[in-house]
Amino acid sequence: MKYRFLVPALLIALLPASIHGQILDPVLLTKPATDAWPTYHGDYSGRRFSTLSQINQSNVKHMTLAWIFRIKVGITPNAIVGGEGPVPQGPPSDPGVSTIKATPLMVNGILYFSTPDNAWAVDARSGREIWHFTWKTKGGIHIGNRGMGMYGNWLFFETPDNYLVSLDARTGKERWHKEIADVKQEYFSTPAPIIVGNHVLVGTGGDSLDVPGFLESHDPETGEVQWKWWSAPLKQGDPGFETWPDEYAMRHGGGMTWLPGTYDPGLHLYFLGTGNPNPVLTGRSRKGDNLYTCSIVALNVDTGKLAWYFQPSPHDTHDWDAAQTPVLIDAEIDGKPRKLLAQANRNGYFFVLDRGTGQNIVTAPMIQTMNWSKGISPNGQPIPDPGKEATVDGVLVSPPTGGATNWPPPSYDPETGLFYVGTSQSFSMFYLTDTDPHPEGWGAAERDAGYYGGDLEAIDIKTGKIVWDHHYPFGGGPVGILTTAGKLLFTGDGSQHLVAFDPANGSILWHAGLADDLSNGPETYLLDGQQYLVAGAGDQLYAFTAEP
Amino acid sequence: MNTNRVFGMVPCIIFTTATLAFCQADAPQAEAPPPKYDPASVARGKETFVGACGFCHGSNAKGGEKGPDLLRSVIVLDDENGKTIGPVILRGRPDKGMPRFPYSAQQIADISNFLHNAINSAIDRDSYRILNIVTGDARHGKAYFEGAGQCVSCHSVDKDLKGIGAKYEPVTLQGKFLQPDSNWTEGTPPHSVSAISVTVTLPSGESFTGVPLNYDDFNVALHDPTGTYRSFKRSSKDMPRVEIHNRLQFHLDLLTHISDSDIHNLTAYLVTLK
Repeated sequence: MKYRFLVPALLIALLPASIHGQILDPVLLTKPATDAWPTYHGDYSGRRFSTLSQINQSNVKHMTLAWIFRIKVGITPNAIVGGEGPVPQGPPSDPGVSTIKATPLMVNGILYFSTPDNAWAVDARSGREIWHFTWKTKGGIHIGNRGMGMYGNWLFFETPDNYLVSLDARTGKERWHKEIADVKQEYFSTPAPIIVGNHVLVGTGGDSLDVPGFLESHDPETGEVQWKWWSAPLKQGDPGFETWPDEYAMRHGGGMTWLPGTYDPGLHLYFLGTGNPNPVLTGRSRKGDNLYTCSIVALNVDTGKLAWYFQPSPHDTHDWDAAQTPVLIDAEIDGKPRKLLAQANRNGYFFVLDRGTGQNIVTAPMIQTMNWSKGISPNGQPIPDPGKEATVDGVLVSPPTGGATNWPPPSYDPETGLFYVGTSQSFSMFYLTDTDPHPEGWGAAERDAGYYGGDLEAIDIKTGKIVWDHHYPFGGGPVGILTTAGKLLFTGDGSQHLVAFDPANGSILWHAGLADDLSNGPETYLLDGQQYLVAGAGDQLYAFTAEP
Repeated sequence: MNTNRVFGMVPCIIFTTATLAFCQADAPQAEAPPPKYDPASVARGKETFVGACGFCHGSNAKGGEKGPDLLRSVIVLDDENGKTIGPVILRGRPDKGMPRFPYSAQQIADISNFLHNAINSAIDRDSYRILNIVTGDARHGKAYFEGAGQCVSCHSVDKDLKGIGAKYEPVTLQGKFLQPDSNWTEGTPPHSVSAISVTVTLPSGESFTGVPLNYDDFNVALHDPTGTYRSFKRSSKDMPRVEIHNRLQFHLDLLTHISDSDIHNLTAYLVTLK
């Protein structure tokens, strides 16, 4: 054991200059990933489709395990320690800390990824740790971390106590950290920073108290804030103020920025899904649509100015944030080439928009049990049924707060024209518990009722129709997905298997049993002329290759 | 929500702890964690607060005609044991019309604990108390029970449901028809029953029925009635043939068509079965 720890330490101590080429070429970010995975989604589009086809339908059955890397969290013997909190007593016990939800970056043969308070560099060839950084926390909910962003030699990640931390990719040593939100106001941060030009885009989360959400752009060199976009108006007269009853409601209106967004270099727009309004499960103190919560927004990446918005859940009262990946798709609609944006939303609907204007093109249901909407408005928004807002004696609603889908990344395959997403069907009772005219926090309690299993759905982006569906009576649900030009779809089945499907028809082509459920979005890259498939399951990262 | 790891856990996850096993004792309640703030200090703080501060800030500290909501105040949220609110209490805010209060360190700490306890009550949504859910019409509930709801096809208010309204408080009682437990005890002598069973039939015609432990696209495993573990590889969708039976399927189907008023009425009726 000692020996294995010593080697990376020696490499770092003696040969820092010789570990050449960590530096991230920004051009990588603007093209489909092949020999790198330089940003959370692999590229800016969020489609999680790789043009690699070395692993394909003819050889997928012959994939072999290249390595497994098991994370060891907290102050391990060789850990580089940062953070403002006290020295922890014993190792972290929160399961979120030991669950890999990040999609690792892969740049020049090295994987970089994070979990709450922890970050690693791992040799992508061998699965050996190069360095491990750990953060002494001041608190915050340690439920998950989506990973890191990279700019040149600099890495960026966020912590549950709301620091943006920058590390030197070569050594794992901290460059600086900046507080982005107050943990005492119940903010906690999970997103992977997205780097566009010289902007490090960071969001935050937390909806236990009624605090406002925002997206910030930081300078990658100094960490200074370049601009800040609030997801709800701050005062009368700000855009969207007419959708709130008063300033007090909007300033406590939520709208967290839980997940990384996507970017169109041609339009120079950053697309982001925002969180639910607060108080979460009751809207009596915030009558109106509550813009720009539960919205898909397009922001000018240099200024943070809103270009357009579309709101999938007006006046949400069920915790259905619209944070799910806004996937950028170029395809023909009615014979005309269009720049589109598609989102499989937590509220149970699938949306396709024109990403230049925000105009709605498709709104279609993804699950059958959904019962909260009275129909679709002419602009493509579902119309909430006020009868399904929590009451003291309870209302039965599907989907429950967890949604029809959730944060795990979906995928779009341009070769099939299909959008793939993991969904789940169940109900919950929603009971209003805070009857004050100004309720606080969640304001209502939820009790589970019924579970109908999960599905892997393949959705035609032009019509919203489900072309094929793989049903899991007891598993599945929202889970990360990757498609490739090898005519393969990789995902997890909720029963601890990594599975390869035929993206055209849903046939199962390969599977491997893991020690845990797939917990991140699978990724692929070419290294030394060989294609790798890497997937996280619990505290382990698995790498597979096909024999050439 | 996407945490259904192993099939063996599914009955707990799908059907939680509610049960139609009306003769089965409830599982012991999990021990509540110790309160985050000393209850005696919270009580003292409340008394002081209501008397001195409630007139402006509201007796629940959520704000009044003159004073702001203190549960959303950044000064209060940042406070620990009165360190940041203390100076405000002692000096007052003459510019905003707040007088000074010459309280002791203990009194200030008590007020701090009272405020943080209230904030924590909003944060900790698992602690939210469900209010009165018995608002329906028991007569309509009875009609639903005997008619459209088809409850009488399996249940009887004189047999399995006798006295049910006295055994459970209303929220638990409602949960029992919305999300019944998949395990219960019945028969003479009493024996445990699992709602979900799986039957695996091999190409030879040999078949095995039992409680499923794992069911996915590649494997199926069960405990047969003797308690023996058996597992089978699934080489295709129908090889071997696998059938899942759920004795509570009716309750799952019910959710797709029962109305909220039927839920309220049925609850009101069941509550009367003392």
